[in-house]
Amino acid sequence: MQIFFIIGIPLLLSVAGLFIRRQKATGIVNCFGYLAVLLFSVSLLKDIASSARTRSFFGFLCLDTLSAFFILVISVVAFAAALYSVGYITRDVQNARISGRKARGYYLLFNLFCCSMFFVPALDNLGMLWVAIEMTTLISAFLVGFYNTKKSVEAAWKYIIICSVGIIFALLGTILFSYAFSISGISKSLNWSEITPLAHILDKNILKFAFLFILVGYGTKAGLAPMHTWLPDAHSQAVAPISALLSGVLLETAVYAILRFGFILVHGVGFPYFSNLMIIFGVISLIISSGFILVQKDLKRLLAYSSIEHIGIIAIGLGLASPLAFCGALLHIFNHAVVKSLMFFGAGNIVSIYQKHNINAIRGVLKTMPFTGVMLLLGMFALTGFPPFSLFISELMVLIGAFSVNAYLPAGLLLLLLSVIFGAFIYHFGKMLYGNIPKGMVVTKEPLSGKLAFLFLFFLLFAPAVGLLFIKKDLIWITQNLLPR
Amino acid sequence: MQEIVLIGILISTCLMAVAKRLPALIRSFRYQSFFLFLATFLVAWKEAQPDLYVVAGLLLVIKAALIPHVLYRIINKIKVGQDLGLFINTQLSLLCALLFAYLAWDFSSKLIVYGSHAQTGILSVALFSVLIGFFLMISRITALAQIIGLLVMENGLFLLASAVSGGMPFFVEIAIFFDVFVSVVIMGFFIYRINKFFTHIDVNKLSNLKG
Repeated sequence: MQIFFIIGIPLLLSVAGLFIRRQKATGIVNCFGYLAVLLFSVSLLKDIASSARTRSFFGFLCLDTLSAFFILVISVVAFAAALYSVGYITRDVQNARISGRKARGYYLLFNLFCCSMFFVPALDNLGMLWVAIEMTTLISAFLVGFYNTKKSVEAAWKYIIICSVGIIFALLGTILFSYAFSISGISKSLNWSEITPLAHILDKNILKFAFLFILVGYGTKAGLAPMHTWLPDAHSQAVAPISALLSGVLLETAVYAILRFGFILVHGVGFPYFSNLMIIFGVISLIISSGFILVQKDLKRLLAYSSIEHIGIIAIGLGLASPLAFCGALLHIFNHAVVKSLMFFGAGNIVSIYQKHNINAIRGVLKTMPFTGVMLLLGMFALTGFPPFSLFISELMVLIGAFSVNAYLPAGLLLLLLSVIFGAFIYHFGKMLYGNIPKGMVVTKEPLSGKLAFLFLFFLLFAPAVGLLFIKKDLIWITQNLLPR
Repeated sequence: MQEIVLIGILISTCLMAVAKRLPALIRSFRYQSFFLFLATFLVAWKEAQPDLYVVAGLLLVIKAALIPHVLYRIINKIKVGQDLGLFINTQLSLLCALLFAYLAWDFSSKLIVYGSHAQTGILSVALFSVLIGFFLMISRITALAQIIGLLVMENGLFLLASAVSGGMPFFVEIAIFFDVFVSVVIMGFFIYRINKFFTHIDVNKLSNLKG
């Protein structure tokens, strides 16, 4: 039942936004709405995980533990972004960067964007899944080009074209999957809940072909290198809360789609094919992103490349045929969404106070904005996988998983590249955070809602780590619960 | 009858590969959509499926009438030159098209395991259309050509779906039509903006964002 609230509330909010005059009031209503969504999705996950079976509604929506998990990730980031938007958009209106009318347009698009993302994990039909992912692209293109400057329009154009082409290939893959299913002579259906259990009787060659197209298609949307070229442009030009949503959950919804087809493939042709493809794309993403992170000059692009890196880690974790690594990758999806949102919020604060993106021109953030600075410093350590934070745990799980299945080459490369990226991050952030206050800057305080968003996310950085201590069942049990049977 | 329609699709797709100016490209796209409508209509008539009549009707209205109309409007409004701007000239494009046709045929004859000969034919024309669409996107300079390339790819996939699995489920088909139309409108909107900021719509000159 909760799923109807989860999808319905963003829709209602987008309608309500049309009637509320003041943009700040809309923002505050949004916060409460997304808080409700978050609570509903927690209870949804609890319900489904405890009963451990799939639920379908009218043959249109179908939920298992994996879907519920992704819905939870989306709702966490959506709530944080809604909190952060209040202060951020108000400041933009005060600085006359956007008009009050446009701010209301922002909230409308924000709600529609969230709604389309909530649809992705909930849908049963793989064709509709495609439509929902395409809708997320179309809606967020406006949010990428929101500031209406030369650069942002260019970024939006590249985003919409590259993702649309990519996703056309995914449609081709979807059609081939349905072809494989229809020639098996059972029934004509595109529902994953019907295809997955029967995958072993499907034609193996067609499945392999089809999955290649799926991986290239949704991989474009997920930001896997070498199809990642839209990602740094779009992330760096979007409004800061939207960058967090793009990086934290939009990429992950595409990963969800890959995973759904991946399950069918694994049931049909076994693990090695899926495994090899995922690990190859994951390692390529890590290599390319680490190079760009080393030489990066733009703060938001730096974070965007870091997203590619983390998607690479997730792809490797999902591809290793080890339950521990799989569980680690799923945990990493959650952790990455949390920490990357935190970092993008911090970067948004820096950009709106300093009015520039260039790392070399930003100095003394810790003194100018003490709260944001401290959060960014800690978030930077979390992002690079430093011990007390939960990203360390998930990365360690992926690594242990890799060693346990004798995948020494990917594990070695992962360790090497992670340490390179760690060094690069320390270097870039050290320059920005320390140093004296630039001339003409005053110490600024963040708005309350912005602080709340940071604290909420910061709390979640430790939550999985603490939670795991108290769970009596072991990790393997949790993972097996997540996998469809 | 079906063969004639297929050849119609093939020829209109080739015409797009050699088109030098935008109106010619849009016209050929309209022909392709019309032939696609005919193909769907024939199947609907043969199998007496009311669903397919609706799909065919939507094809005619959205792809053969509305979308070309929107594209013509964009050309008239933005008043940039009507040249497509070719990275690869027409002769070479035609050679590429030949190569694509061979590749599509080869791939589809390997893919279709249990199907009839006619099915292989439809599949290869469909894949050919997808490849030409992709080719148009990467070898033409104007942003409008990218939109049309995307639409051509989508047309090819529509044909592919009807060839291999008897079409997607009805409501998925409707949703995809809606989606395609919305994406054309949104991309058109961004073309206006690009034209406003850059006073051209040449994608090779969109190079502010790097690294």
